[in-house]
Amino acid sequence: MSIYKTAVKKPITTLMAFIAVLVFGAYSLINLPIDLYPDIEFPAITVITSYRGAGAADIETNISKPIESSLNAIDNLKEISSESRDNLSIVSLEFEYEADLSEAANDIRDALSLLENIMPEEAENPMILKISSSMVPIYMYAITAKESYEGIEQTLEEYIINPLNRIEGIGSISVFGAPIRQVGVEIDPRKLEAYNLTVEQIGGIIRAENLNMPTGNLRMGLMDYPLRVEGEFSSSDIIEDIVLGSFNGQAIYLKDVATVRDSIKEMTMDERINGELGVRLIITKQSGANTVKVAREISKEMDKLMANLPYDIEIQTIMDTSSFIKSSVNNLTKTLLFALFFVTLVVLFFLGRWRATLIILLAIPISLIVSFIYLYVSGNSINIISLSALSIAIGMVVDDAIVVLENISKHIDRGASPREAAIYATNEVWLAVIVTTMTIVAVFLPMTLVGGMTGVMFRQLGWIVSITVTTSTITAITLTPMLSSKLLRLRSKEKKSRYEKSIVPLFDRLDNGYGRLLAWSIRHKLIISVLALLVFVGSIALVSKLGTEFMPESDESCFSIAIELQSGTRVEKTIELARDIDAYLEGIEEVELIATSAGSDDTGGLLSIFQSSGSNIINYRVSLSALDQRLRSVWDIAEEVRLHLDNYPEIAKYNLSTGSNMMMTSSVDVEIFGYDIDQTTKLANEIAEKMKLIEGARNVEISREKAKPELRAELDRQKMAAVGLNTAMVSTALYNRVAGMTATRYREEGNEYDVIIRFSEEFRNSITDIENISLQTASGSMVKLGEVGKVAEYWSPPNIEHKRLERVVKVSATPFKVSLGEMALNIQQVIDDTEIPKGIIIEVGGAFQDQQEGFKDIALLMLLSLVLVYIVMASQFESLKMPFIIMFSIPFAFSGAILALLITDTTLSMVAALGAVMLIGIVVKNAIVLVDYINLMRDRGHSLNEAIVLSGKSRLRPVLMTALTTILAMLPLALSTGEGSEVWSPMGISVIGGLIFSTMVTMIIVPVMYRIFAATGERDKKKSIHDKFVFMDN
Amino acid sequence: MKAVLIIHNQAQAERIEYMLDRLNIRGYSKWENVLGKGSETGDPRLGTHTWPEMNSSVLSVVQDEQVSDLLESVKKLNAINEEVGIRAFVWEVLETV
Repeated sequence: MSIYKTAVKKPITTLMAFIAVLVFGAYSLINLPIDLYPDIEFPAITVITSYRGAGAADIETNISKPIESSLNAIDNLKEISSESRDNLSIVSLEFEYEADLSEAANDIRDALSLLENIMPEEAENPMILKISSSMVPIYMYAITAKESYEGIEQTLEEYIINPLNRIEGIGSISVFGAPIRQVGVEIDPRKLEAYNLTVEQIGGIIRAENLNMPTGNLRMGLMDYPLRVEGEFSSSDIIEDIVLGSFNGQAIYLKDVATVRDSIKEMTMDERINGELGVRLIITKQSGANTVKVAREISKEMDKLMANLPYDIEIQTIMDTSSFIKSSVNNLTKTLLFALFFVTLVVLFFLGRWRATLIILLAIPISLIVSFIYLYVSGNSINIISLSALSIAIGMVVDDAIVVLENISKHIDRGASPREAAIYATNEVWLAVIVTTMTIVAVFLPMTLVGGMTGVMFRQLGWIVSITVTTSTITAITLTPMLSSKLLRLRSKEKKSRYEKSIVPLFDRLDNGYGRLLAWSIRHKLIISVLALLVFVGSIALVSKLGTEFMPESDESCFSIAIELQSGTRVEKTIELARDIDAYLEGIEEVELIATSAGSDDTGGLLSIFQSSGSNIINYRVSLSALDQRLRSVWDIAEEVRLHLDNYPEIAKYNLSTGSNMMMTSSVDVEIFGYDIDQTTKLANEIAEKMKLIEGARNVEISREKAKPELRAELDRQKMAAVGLNTAMVSTALYNRVAGMTATRYREEGNEYDVIIRFSEEFRNSITDIENISLQTASGSMVKLGEVGKVAEYWSPPNIEHKRLERVVKVSATPFKVSLGEMALNIQQVIDDTEIPKGIIIEVGGAFQDQQEGFKDIALLMLLSLVLVYIVMASQFESLKMPFIIMFSIPFAFSGAILALLITDTTLSMVAALGAVMLIGIVVKNAIVLVDYINLMRDRGHSLNEAIVLSGKSRLRPVLMTALTTILAMLPLALSTGEGSEVWSPMGISVIGGLIFSTMVTMIIVPVMYRIFAATGERDKKKSIHDKFVFMDN
Repeated sequence: MKAVLIIHNQAQAERIEYMLDRLNIRGYSKWENVLGKGSETGDPRLGTHTWPEMNSSVLSVVQDEQVSDLLESVKKLNAINEEVGIRAFVWEVLETV
């Protein structure tokens, strides 16, 4: 028994089966995590090796190069690059998307173990770091305080961090920019010399005083007492009263030669929130945790915790990734509901019957819910891609149900009982329904095979549409007949409803008008063909006017700026400028929150991989008011800020970026490969200068940092030997006096604070001061540093970058109001005009390279889809010619898409191109319906012209209906302006444009082509059989 | 005894069964899928892509007096909508075992 027969005969079973699917779907929906994008693990591993004291060039030759060459042969490696800077080597490995990163990490470990003997002994073991999306903070708080500022870290630890850590799914919570308490002993070197003391001696004395020690046991009578010496400082005030020795019979106290200050460590980093002192709390999630859920928990818990804090501590949210996700997802859900509403309207308008409309619309939730099951089972999430895939599918899932229901109601109207009509009518069309679905699947299924970044994005789209459309077909041949048999009734012929009186005549007029147009067209084949060709060629010519880009950028209501001052600038100067820019930013109306960090935090650790820091660097993170509460886009505001920043002469360079997503940069990178650092730097500067003149090029940046001034103490070994010193002794002495010697730790309430001894500031801020430092020789006498060496100023070599084992400098630029493709062309022009010295190779990469790879993928995908669609159609029609006739509609779909993009001034991005690929399936479906019917009419004995006009008139309504459901379902997607809409609206625009245009053209061109190509041949079966049976006439 | 062959659109199967029941005709043989064309009117029922509809046929051997009632009912059924199509043919049954 066939599936539809069983479905109709066992309505309860059918209903239960679908309810089971709905229940499982609902369960999946509840448990699905919500995220912005499908889980994209960027396949990269970083190997970090530190080698204290080595300069960039030493790091390059001793660390980076050996690591690079040993890792170069690892499986699935796509590209290897490295950066060597002072003390640090960072080798980054990018893998193919399908690579298994844990395996790759093991391979790396093996390869590195072989290197152990080659690497310098002082270098630390390389650290292997997988950069995953879970390392990106999901929440960032700005915390400002007044009186409580000094002890803020402890307060936060106790009241915020510990309670928050209990939330499930939280990865780590860290505080940045908190002041660190330390006890500073600032020494006056002149007094030190007068008393014949050294810093090391003082350190030793302080260490010796700050001591608790068990000294044995004492047995007295019946008891056994442990004996201890309790000498630890009970308060920091005690330190200054330590006796250092005696001079001329007088005790010398520490306060005689130094000032002791128990306060905050000298700050090299300045954190401000809206210009006020503050710290930043950064929260990351565990990988795989539901961002939205974790964020919700955090903000709920935070509200409770805030009540316990001292009154002057204020907490503001700088970044909440969940809010963008939530609003994008809400926005798309709204889009989805609008689509549902429009589809309902269209179906009701064309059918004019409530019950029939209801039956058809039921196909929508069922098909959509099955895709939730898919998402849940495959471990995916609800995200922008999956939701937009659903709103694309929504218009297509009703088509099958419509075809089945139309045929059933035809039979019912003819007097069959609904039950039988349901069975036999479905029997008549079920094969056709499956074939049209197969053409759609033929287009979407290949998307699941695309590799690379584009693949990650579109795999889900391909699966979801394939699954929903297949489900809709199954629904159409089971649930739809079952419900029709129960719900549809024979309508009386005499009584005409209002719908039949008002709207049906309208349709009849439309059918007749179209019939006349069609009749005229097939009589004037030539004119129509030439016209069509002109339209197509014309639109293709317009392609060059379209801008291209990889991924549309979205307005995430925030931007960040990294400002770099002349390298070597003192942090105080940097902070001063930061305050100035703070004031300017506060003046911008749309700005809601400004988080500034100036200078570098030596405890920053891992954060410094993501964001460069240094005494000359200011990092900004600026949040804007919500999208619907401002008129200017983030790009307009960013442009204004850029213009303002250009006015500061002290800014060496700055980078303003409007996206928070690290993986999606939209820059064009010019990569200059060459060994000679001076030569390549010069060339990079030259190209950068020229690039700045290109219209729309912003953030022009050279990756190689400018040379940095440094002071070097150059020691004379002869002179040192004469007084019994060596380099180690001198450098330790210098370190203790300038950086400071950690003498001991002062303990208070379970926390430890460093006691640091060094020269007070005024004795260590000039070259003369340093040369005046006294060093104690082996014999105990004092010599000045100036006597054994001198301090000279140098320019240290910049950071050195490698790509594919070669030295490289990158000059990058991001586009503003011009397309990426156009800018890349202009940049290529600049490179062509520049004279390039021998041995230097220039390549253009970055997002532009991704874009080109992406478009190549899409083009391949399109080819694959075309071939598959042809295969499906050729086997359906059992003809090699029919698919060609049908495929004549495809070029016009592209014309329509191009025109729509041009009219709406949208660039041709990957998403828009994908829309064009999708059109292949949708458009062909319409043409199949028409051609199939023409064939049918001819088989039923109508003449060619008659068959064409008749079919056109009869199929106009179904074609319009399916096209309109798809178009209107996409309309909310295309028109959406909410958060994140920039990503998917191009797809909606290109599909709508392509579909409107191609539907209009299909209804004329396809019949005309049919008239031209199928006039003779296989349709003349009768004649060929007649020829075989000539004997009957004899 | 007469043999009545009823050839009808599949969509009428239930009605035919009900009709035979009403007329107290117990015995019949049925062919579920029957292909064919009408001699004068009606669309062909070929079960092909071109003519997707199909007929069923019922052959019932009845008493001579039942024939007229049966044909009358078939006629009424046909009158509901001639497009759907139903025909009945009657033969003489010479012998039965």
